[in-house]
Amino acid sequence: MSQHTLAKFVPSESNRWDRAKAAHLLNRAGFGGRPDEVDRVARLGMDVAVDELLDFRRYPENSAAPDFTNLRALWEAYAQLAQARAPQRERFEANVAALRADNQKMQEVREWWVSRMIQSARPLQEKMVLFWHGLLVSGKPDVQQAELLFMQNELFRRNPLGNFKEMILAISKDPAMLRYLDNNLNRRGRPNENYARELLELFTIGIGNYTEQDVKEAARAFTGWTYRNYEFTFDARQHDDGPKSFLGRAGNWDGGDIINIIFEAPATARWLPRKLFEFFAYLRPDESLVEELAEVFRRSTFEVAPLVRAILTSSAFYSPKAMRTQVKSPAHLVIGSARLLGADSAMIPNLIRAMDLMGQALFYPPNVGGWPRGEGWITTSTILLRYNFSSLLLTGGMPGIARRPSTRPAVPAGAQRLLDGAGTAGEVVNRLVTAMAAGALTDDRKTALIRALGAQTAQAPFVRDGAATEAKLRSALHLLMSSADYQLS
Amino acid sequence: MSQGMTRREFVQKGLTIVAMGATAPSFLTRTALAMNNPFDIAQVTSRPGMPDENVLVVVQMGGGNDGLNTLVPFGNDAYYRARPALAIPRNDVIQVTADLGLHPRMTKFKEMVDRGVAGVIQGVGYPNPSRSHFKSMEIWHTADPEGRVMQVGWIGRYFDSKCPVCVEPTAGVNIGSSMPLAMRAAGGQGVTLENPDTFQWMPSLDGAGAREEQELFRMLNAPAPNEPGTIDFLRHTAMNAVLSSERVREAIRQYKGGIEYPNNRFAGSMRLIAQMIAGRLPTKVYYAHMTGFDTHANQMGVHAALLDQLSTGVDAFYRDLEAQGNADRVIVLAFSEFGRRVAENGSAGTDHGTAAPMFVFGKRIKPGIHGTLPSLTELTDGDLKHSIDFRSVYATVLDKWLGADPAKILGSEFERVPFLA
Repeated sequence: MSQHTLAKFVPSESNRWDRAKAAHLLNRAGFGGRPDEVDRVARLGMDVAVDELLDFRRYPENSAAPDFTNLRALWEAYAQLAQARAPQRERFEANVAALRADNQKMQEVREWWVSRMIQSARPLQEKMVLFWHGLLVSGKPDVQQAELLFMQNELFRRNPLGNFKEMILAISKDPAMLRYLDNNLNRRGRPNENYARELLELFTIGIGNYTEQDVKEAARAFTGWTYRNYEFTFDARQHDDGPKSFLGRAGNWDGGDIINIIFEAPATARWLPRKLFEFFAYLRPDESLVEELAEVFRRSTFEVAPLVRAILTSSAFYSPKAMRTQVKSPAHLVIGSARLLGADSAMIPNLIRAMDLMGQALFYPPNVGGWPRGEGWITTSTILLRYNFSSLLLTGGMPGIARRPSTRPAVPAGAQRLLDGAGTAGEVVNRLVTAMAAGALTDDRKTALIRALGAQTAQAPFVRDGAATEAKLRSALHLLMSSADYQLS
Repeated sequence: MSQGMTRREFVQKGLTIVAMGATAPSFLTRTALAMNNPFDIAQVTSRPGMPDENVLVVVQMGGGNDGLNTLVPFGNDAYYRARPALAIPRNDVIQVTADLGLHPRMTKFKEMVDRGVAGVIQGVGYPNPSRSHFKSMEIWHTADPEGRVMQVGWIGRYFDSKCPVCVEPTAGVNIGSSMPLAMRAAGGQGVTLENPDTFQWMPSLDGAGAREEQELFRMLNAPAPNEPGTIDFLRHTAMNAVLSSERVREAIRQYKGGIEYPNNRFAGSMRLIAQMIAGRLPTKVYYAHMTGFDTHANQMGVHAALLDQLSTGVDAFYRDLEAQGNADRVIVLAFSEFGRRVAENGSAGTDHGTAAPMFVFGKRIKPGIHGTLPSLTELTDGDLKHSIDFRSVYATVLDKWLGADPAKILGSEFERVPFLA
């Protein structure tokens, strides 16, 4: 039997459940693990560890959500002026005030989410929110209001491993999505095709499995689906309830019927499984593997949790094709580094700035197709930004992000912890390489790091006794993070 | 080392590549040679008689530009019938011919037409058009209307055809965050940058020391034989980045400036390209991006602002090139993945359509309007029928500007469009 099947991974003498696989699981189902977390998962075994990740609600989560009261008042004030046909200047100023406050609030929401990803005891929950944000895409500036995007983010978080069909129905009624793809303006008689097209092409069935006429008919069915006062509403006057023919089925369909018919199409059962497998394991899986996943998906009537469990426990997921072959997304690179090495909350705005520069501006996706993936993240431009990123954690600044004045920060606490008990340059390097690059560095590359520590040989003692050795340690960390090996998960 | 430089000379030039020693694949060493020697640009061109200095700038208008509100058929009643809310009133159109004119925010564009440096190619598209942004963009990038999955684009195939065993990363330079498929070659993916200030690797300085760290960096990142695809790709990209960042920043330093550009992202990209041209970077094709043309709702203001950006950005770029004495060397070709539906929708916007105009700029082009306007009444599914295949435009540029054989790159022969002699 080929290892690239959905068959469950069963440890054997020659292929054990070990630290490398534990680290792999924590990387892909979250943002990576510290050495103690990897040890723990290695002890737990795969099944218990995957259960823990999936059943994330057993871990408490409390982070105060941003408050939108004042912002709502500003938008309300603007709406009233517009309604009262106040002088243009007054309206303009109210609009500018609301927009400015809204952009500030968006930044606050971004900081809230990023600190949550860094601190959460539920890494799979946040990783899934990131997945949904990249699949069911909405963002600024098309969506003007940060609160709508926050609500959408919470929709993803509420039940990220729940039922996909329910998720599609919910996103079709989600105000941010209604606004992002213009369905709020989709009216009887002269429909707007934007949402209907992307629902089919990017969210559920995929191109090639429907016709242009299907897009037009689906657009008619979604007429009148709009929002008011931050909530979905169905505007019957704008709804076209005439007969439609969609994917070969005739009836007076509305949006809900369209979704029902979509989920009867064979291609729909393969769509999300493929996306999830590519997100967690590797790109371009064999069709036979996708078909096995589709079978799991159909059997559970489109539940996401069984699908994710099947992927995270499959032999394919722990095969050489999957392990250390994924290019970290900027979110993974930045959040993972912060989780491992530690970053205080004052640094979060700069961490977000770094992700923006690397091409993953949360809540500002490049287009409805979502983020790049795999090697698509890497250009001559982004690779230098990614390599420079470590200086942000180590020195407080990097090219493109000015360092706040004053002295250099101490070596991050997380890095210090990695080194407890390491007495020689070789041991220091081994600790770092194990924790940060799964040990995957050849000896001559390790030699470069030993030299960065100011040592000639691996056996040379490395005693941390002041500013000079701390600076050398920073050099070694910076170099290790400025390597291809650190870019892989 | 076929370019006539010995390893000794190579080392003496202080190139970063040295530390990679024997592990450096040949294309990297050739890269370094090419970048140190602008005359090596000859390796990506050319046919006898074709100036080696010709440069192509591609501008991607992402989202699907509304061609009918760009080059406006103001003499055609069908246009006004189809667009009660969005049609540009006759009196506002900047007239170019008796029945065609430009959007009112394109005054700079019209001035360029009058100066003989701007042209429009009408009704460009392809058979069985896709209305998917992603599929249609891919078709434009690969020049394959069948939409087959491909790893290389039409410009990439041009690079490969001129330089089959090597890649010179700066032969193609993209301004943006991700490399367009059009520019990807079998031999490598070229250079992408957004901001020259961040386009360099910085050592941490106070530890091992900058010089030592630079050397250790090269040890850590040197490509090695027989590594799996992704890590090998990362190492090569990193080395290309380090090599080209030095060359690009050096080129930019020579830029004098003096021309004012509008304050927007696209104009910033065009300015950066002008800087690199001024610095004689050995680059044949530059690629710049505009986004936001996907105007399904409340299109009027957004579309006007984008057309203004296109016109004023390219105008500033050409004035800059004139001041540098480089205007003869450069043409700009602007395209979008599709046009928009002839009839407006009910939200003061337009949905995805098909054929649309392309725009071309340059001192050596034939200015004005090329091709014919597709019928506004004989439509397919409410959309325009294209009159010129986009591959004819590519073929014209490849043949008349880059001195390459279009049939080899595009797979078959296409008629030329007479915007280049």
